[in-house]
Formats: sequence, structure tokens, C-alpha cells
Amino acid sequence: VLASCGGTAQNAGAATPTPTARPPITAESGQLSVLEWSGYEAAGTKAQTNGLTAGKQYTDAYGTSGITYSYITNDDQALQKATSGGPFDVIHPCHENLQDYVNRGLVQPWDTKLLPSFSELNPFLVKAGQWNGKQYLIPWDWGYGSLLYRADKIDAADATGWELAWNPKYAGKVSLWNGASTNFEIAALKLGINPKNMDTLSSSQVQLAKQALIQQKPLNKLYWDSEYSQEQPNFQSGTVWITYAWQDSLVSMKAAGLNAAFLTPRQGRLSWFCGFMLGAKTQNYYHAHKYVESFINADACVQMTNLYYYGTANTNVTPDKIQNQDLAASLDLGNPRAIVSGNNHLQSWSPNRSALELAWQEVVAS
Amino acid sequence: VFVIPPLAVVLILLLGPVVFLSLYSLNLRTNIPGTPTALDWSNWQDFLFGQGNPFRGRFFYSLEITLLVSVATTAGAYPLAYYLAFIARRFRYPLLLLLIAPFFTSYLLRIVAWSDVMLNDNGVVNQVLWALHLETRGTAVGWLLYSNFSIFLVLFYAWIPFVALPIFAVLENMDHRLIEAATDLGASRVSAFWRVTFPLSLPGVISAFVFVLIPTTGEFIAPLYVGGPGNQLFGNEIQSFFGSSPNWNYGAVLAIALIATVLVLMLLFGRFLNTDLRQGVEPAR
Repeated sequence: VLASCGGTAQNAGAATPTPTARPPITAESGQLSVLEWSGYEAAGTKAQTNGLTAGKQYTDAYGTSGITYSYITNDDQALQKATSGGPFDVIHPCHENLQDYVNRGLVQPWDTKLLPSFSELNPFLVKAGQWNGKQYLIPWDWGYGSLLYRADKIDAADATGWELAWNPKYAGKVSLWNGASTNFEIAALKLGINPKNMDTLSSSQVQLAKQALIQQKPLNKLYWDSEYSQEQPNFQSGTVWITYAWQDSLVSMKAAGLNAAFLTPRQGRLSWFCGFMLGAKTQNYYHAHKYVESFINADACVQMTNLYYYGTANTNVTPDKIQNQDLAASLDLGNPRAIVSGNNHLQSWSPNRSALELAWQEVVAS
Repeated sequence: VFVIPPLAVVLILLLGPVVFLSLYSLNLRTNIPGTPTALDWSNWQDFLFGQGNPFRGRFFYSLEITLLVSVATTAGAYPLAYYLAFIARRFRYPLLLLLIAPFFTSYLLRIVAWSDVMLNDNGVVNQVLWALHLETRGTAVGWLLYSNFSIFLVLFYAWIPFVALPIFAVLENMDHRLIEAATDLGASRVSAFWRVTFPLSLPGVISAFVFVLIPTTGEFIAPLYVGGPGNQLFGNEIQSFFGSSPNWNYGAVLAIALIATVLVLMLLFGRFLNTDLRQGVEPAR
């Protein structure tokens, strides 16, 4: 049965590991250690308070007591925690550091035949989740990064590009993310650097971007680390009017009755996609597959999209299944290649990430 | 002989991490697998001598904040301790218990309470200001949160009970006959305080000062939650180097510099910590 749920013709190109003698799922402890972003915990766990139903299949079958979450607040931190912490059975990073996870021996390929919904996943994202022909990342969620702003407080004429975060008119009402790579991408776009090079900045471009971020720093009320305990509460309370955000914050703030808008910068939005990786040292190989299947199945993906308005990798989540059609259209959720379409710039691997991280530290300390 | 095992455990737990940090600071270890290691002083050179090094600047800024908080907290705790020791009489121990009652909850929760309940734009403080017509309704006081003020306030609040304890211990155990003798000999209450009570309480005051100075030198939780981008302390830089923007080699340099600073402070003030606070006598010579 599982074999019949294997990959599509294109997906079948991803090599799966040679079957090795593994203990059956009944012999596994089921004590899953998951490195996760806040808000994405499996349904039924005490940690899941946002109403996400993904993961329900797993927790219904195996309970919730065996799942332990460790949290990440940015991708650099995720890679570091996976390196020095754990070991983790399942990791939910974004794709840009995929090769680092592999090269550091932190992850192993998935057996896609154990994931019945794998065949339904977007081939473009599936391909992007491979390294050396092996499926190390099972794509799940995707979306955009831009500035969320209060349309009732910000002049429309000011809300045209990333320079909005540099506008002294809004000093003390701005809040960027405490994410090194993202902020250098934003600065690069603001400076007019070719978006294709935003993740491969030269040394002089890094210095230029650093100076731009130092110049912008006094305008910030805070650099936020947590979306749910800092970014959204501060935006909702009016402490900040302009914040770096993902599209779920737009949905939440509109639901809270705020006149919020998600900037479409003339330089383009940032875009991302994330997914699940399998820990190299997992002792819960089959549990990990069951856990991830409970997230990538169509029902879980539809509900996730209708909750957060993120795109999902599952191609069965068609636009007609999304409740707010206008919002879905404005976010291009029906386009399987939306994150690389038009003026969207996919956040990618940076060869000089260490230099960016040090430069960001200098910005913070300056 | 019985001392050796616990001493060994303490030495391993205290010195082991410092040794590892030192190795990281000299690039003899790395947090990035596959990265070559070799003795390299460049991070130290950059931190100590690099022109306009922002981390060095943040170090001195943090020391200023720490000193300010320590002085203010000690000064604020003294009247509290004095009241408990000399005026509260039979209520002093219940009051002391009340003073430390908030500390039965977690430090993090108390900071979040200041951030989310008290000081934010719709928080209790702004609501009170609006109710008293001291501020236009809807207009929040900008410097209440994510500022030096909020860091100072939270650290002051967090440390004042601890700081009051050693002062209270000295005042409580002071020989009150000396004060009576001073007043019998014609000294006013103010004069007796400044010439008898205060000098005798100095060991407690200095101990209290050190109690807050040393831990706040490496403080990072309060600035993380209630400080703005310009108000982060040196401890936040270290935390960030080991967490969100990982560079353990540079972070280790900052951590060792902080440890060295604390050691110097301990050496400077350690002699006062040797004093038996219950005696209320002059500092050990």
C-alpha cells in the first residue's frame, strides 16, 4: 500500500535510502524531540494554542506525552541548535541552510515511501528540498516576508518600498526582526542591490548594508525575537506601527480589528519555504515519518492555510478550499511557484553567513 | 579528605566551562563542524584594540548601567532596611516576608509582567496617567518601555529585596546602646545616624552593593524583554553570539572578558564580604 503512494514521476527522482534493518515502530520509544517554531506544535499538545490541527493524526494515534518541543526564533539559531543541541528527531527549518544541515551530518534522507501524502507535494518545492539527489527536506509551508504597517497611521505615499523602515517620520514606531540574514537582505534591497545578489553580498556590500542598518537602528522600538509574544502584541497595542512580519501577522492583526496592510515593496518581497528534516541520530525513524505525514496531508494543509494564510506544499490545497478568496488571490496562494514569481525574492543559502552574523552583531552593539 | 570530592566537583563545574571558553576564544575549538582550528588571537585583538569596536563600547556602557543600578538599589534599600530594623519592631519579620514574597515566582514571569502588564502602551502605568489626565488618552509615554528607564526600573525592582537583606542584618544586630550613648551625649538623631549608625552599617552596605553589582554585570534577561535596540547590555551580546547569531569564538572572547571583570570586582570587594555581617563592626583590615 505504501509503495502505491510513492512519488510522482518527477518526485521519484529523489533517491530514498536503502532499507536497513530498523526496529519496527512498535519497538521505538516514540519520545519525539522536535526543533520547531512557536505556533507549529502538533494539535492536541498543550503547546499548541493557536488552533492548528496539523499533527492530529499522530497525536490521536500515539498521544501527546512523548513529544518534546525545542524552539527556534531564526534560521541561524535553528542551525546552531541542531548542531550543538539535541539530538532532534524532527527539525522544521527553512530551506536556505539545507546543505549545512547535510554537510554537518545533522540530518538523513527521508524514506518518501513512508509518507503517503508525499506524492501530493509540489514538485518544485520537493526538488528544492533535495541535496545530492536525496530528499532531506519535506516541504510544508511557504510565504512572504515584508513590512506590516498600520494603514491608518502611515501615509500611503510613504508605503512604497523597504525604505519605509528608514523613514524618520516613524522613529520609535518601527520593529525589525532580530534575524541577521533577513535584515541584510532587506538592507540590500533598500540600497538597490540586485535582488539576485542579496544572499551573495560582497564584502563592500556587506559594509554598505551594515551602515544602512546602523542608520536605521535608532528608529526601532525593539528588534523582535518572538512573533507571538513580541511582534504581534506590540503591533496590536500600537507600540509599533511598522514591523517586519510574515503574512500570518496580517491575518491576525486584521482579525484583531486593526487597519493593517502588508507592504508590497517596489524592490520586491522576501519569500521563503520551510519543511521537515529527519535527525541523523533519530531512534524514532518510523514515528518521525508518521509525525510528518500528519502535517503534510491535505486536510492538515488546508486548515493550516486557512489559519495562517501561508501557502502549503500540498497541491490538493486548491484556491477554492481557501476561505478568504481575496486574500488568497492577493498572496498568490494558488501559484505553485509564487515564491520565485514576479517580484518575490526567495531567501537562499548565503556563502558568507558567518560574516553577516558578525556584522549583524556589530549593528546590534553599535 | 572529605572535602576533596565536593571541591573537585566545584572545580570541574566552575573551571571546565572557563577552559572551554578560553579554547573557543583562541580559535582552538569551533562550533561549526568542519571548520579548521588553529591558535588565533585576532578576535581578542579586535575586541581589545580594534578601532571603534562596538562590543568594547557596549562593555563600558553596560558597566555604567550596572554601576548606576547598584548605587541606586543600595541607596533605595537602605531606608527600607532601616525601617525594618529600627521602626517596624514586631512587624519586621512579617514585613520582610512580604518584601521577598514576589520572589516566590520566576524572575522571567516578573519581567514579562513589567513588560506586558505594567509598562506597555496600554499598560497599567499609562492607564493611570490617562485616568489622572497627566497624559492625553491614547498617547503612551514613549520611554516607559524598551528604554534605559525600563531596564533600570526592572533591575532596581528585582534586586532591592536582596540588597536590603545584608543591610538589615547589620542594622538588626547593631549594638543599639552605641546610638543611645551618642544621643545621651547630645548628638541629634541625624547626627547619631551619620556618625554612629551609618559607619557601623557600612559592611552591610558594601556587601549589598556587591550583591547587585556582580550579577547585574552579566545581566541579559531584563534588557532582552524591556530594553530597546540601543539599550542591550554586554550580556545580551554574549547571549546572542551563542544563540541567534552564532559565533562562539567571538562570543567566548566577550564571555572571558566579562569573567575577568567579575573576578577583578570580586578581588576589589571580596574583603568586605569576609566581614561577619552580624557583628556590625568595621570592615576587615
